Amino acid sequence: MNKIANFFKHPKIFVITIIWMMVLVVLGTIEQKHSGLFAVQERYFSSWVIWFSLFPMPGGRLTLIIMLINLSFFFFNKSIWKLKKLGIVILHLGGILLLIGGGLTAMFSSEGNMVIEEGDKSNHIEDYHYMELAIINTSSAEFDAYTIFDQPLLIKNNILTHENLNFEIEILNYLENCEPDKRTSSPAIQYKGMLKNFMLKELKPEKEDNWNRPGIIYKISNSGTSTDGMYGIFLGQPVVQTISVNDNNYTIVLRRKRTYLPFSIGLIDFKKILHPGTDIPKSYSSDIILTENRAVRKILIQMNKPLRHKGYTFFQSSFIEGPDGETTVLAVVKNYGRLFPYISSIIMCVGLLFHMFQKLPDLFRKSREKVAT
Amino acid sequence: MAIKVFFSILLLIIVQSCRQENHVRTYRLPKPEKSSQKQKIETPTSGFSWEKPENWIPSAGSNMRLASFDVPFSDAKGDLSLIKLSGTGGDLESNINRWRGQLGLASQSLSEMKKNITTKEGKLGEYQLIKLFNNQSNSAFLCAIMPVGSQTLFVKLSGGLTGIQESETDFISFCSSIDFLE
Repeated sequence: MNKIANFFKHPKIFVITIIWMMVLVVLGTIEQKHSGLFAVQERYFSSWVIWFSLFPMPGGRLTLIIMLINLSFFFFNKSIWKLKKLGIVILHLGGILLLIGGGLTAMFSSEGNMVIEEGDKSNHIEDYHYMELAIINTSSAEFDAYTIFDQPLLIKNNILTHENLNFEIEILNYLENCEPDKRTSSPAIQYKGMLKNFMLKELKPEKEDNWNRPGIIYKISNSGTSTDGMYGIFLGQPVVQTISVNDNNYTIVLRRKRTYLPFSIGLIDFKKILHPGTDIPKSYSSDIILTENRAVRKILIQMNKPLRHKGYTFFQSSFIEGPDGETTVLAVVKNYGRLFPYISSIIMCVGLLFHMFQKLPDLFRKSREKVAT
Repeated sequence: MAIKVFFSILLLIIVQSCRQENHVRTYRLPKPEKSSQKQKIETPTSGFSWEKPENWIPSAGSNMRLASFDVPFSDAKGDLSLIKLSGTGGDLESNINRWRGQLGLASQSLSEMKKNITTKEGKLGEYQLIKLFNNQSNSAFLCAIMPVGSQTLFVKLSGGLTGIQESETDFISFCSSIDFLE
């Protein structure tokens, strides 16, 4: 046990990991120009392993976990828990909190858009990057029953099943970017729905991830009905795919991952102020109504005055203006680790100050001795 | 002891975040409400004249519109709106992409849109005519964007594919006839 602890608390591990993180930052910054921000974030910083051709190297997530383990072993080491090393203890506590905050943000935070037209309301946010396949059972007169499969499951050859569904969905292909292409020849008999008239043509992924239009080719089987067959679906498909299996009606939609909120926001009015004599917006704001458990609150969201409610922060991000009215676009962020960088930075500053003041007498003494000799 | 507890919690968080069951969710929601009539806050002030085909019937429209017409087609009827906005009312690309979105079409870049845009000459000067079709949903728009000094007029005819194609000539005549009220 001691050997393991001695190995993990070794300062060399921290030095190596911090240098490797610097290398990743440099590589990521260079590649960002060609691959876009999100792709680089996923490849270098959110990954466990990075493959450089055939050589696996630790990704940002793994590197930071190793760094956290190293700092933690050092922090819990009894030999540093002395008054004269109080500055170092505080400094390490700050570093550990910073990494824990980063971990919480990476694992549990969510961000996306809320788009509301004037006079309309919304109770969900749509993720910027991740998709979901929603199977909606619309048979009930009172409610719609949703079964949602998140993007990590939408991979080639994966079979999606759930007790709520009396059929299976096999993902035949997931296309990161595609467009529907009109069929010129008669379709094969197994093609159903949109695939009877269109093919999904794969396109080169765009640099900016949210410019892509993902699509899925999938097979429905084991329904025991003529619904079995090959289907296609893409983001923003104008005519949604509906199927009927044993008196149950389903709608199948590929959409941006939705997070439903425990409250709704309605847009009363969107206001835009222009710089005098120009069409350039000086500021814009959204007059909204927040409704929660029948309690209604009127709030103004401005460019530098976001709404913070139940852990969510709503920023005035953009707007769409046209003849049919105005639409506000709110950027929504929920980040459990939001306060960690502030708290840990303060703790680390205090630790560094302690350490400096503890070392000052020694420094003065050495300086005096040097002068004397 | 403390280090054991710390790493146990850390391991638990990592394992919990990797569980595949987290990627399947189920929930129930009430049926979506039918969209209600939206409030319009602008009060139109006209000041324009136009010539319309006889069979176009003025309709109620909304407060935001300078004019609204029901346009009869051979198989149904279309809705025509005339709207005035101060400034440019947004750039050409974002306006067309908004209309494409309303038709359920994906956004395009300006260079891709070019084939759907033609320039016409009317009484108020040059304007742009935009044709947008969605064959799959049998819906289409004919739109015109007319800059008028510091304002912009938007004319939009929405309907089925056949009807829009039938009414294109009438639509262009109407747009070209729009002039300042004397």
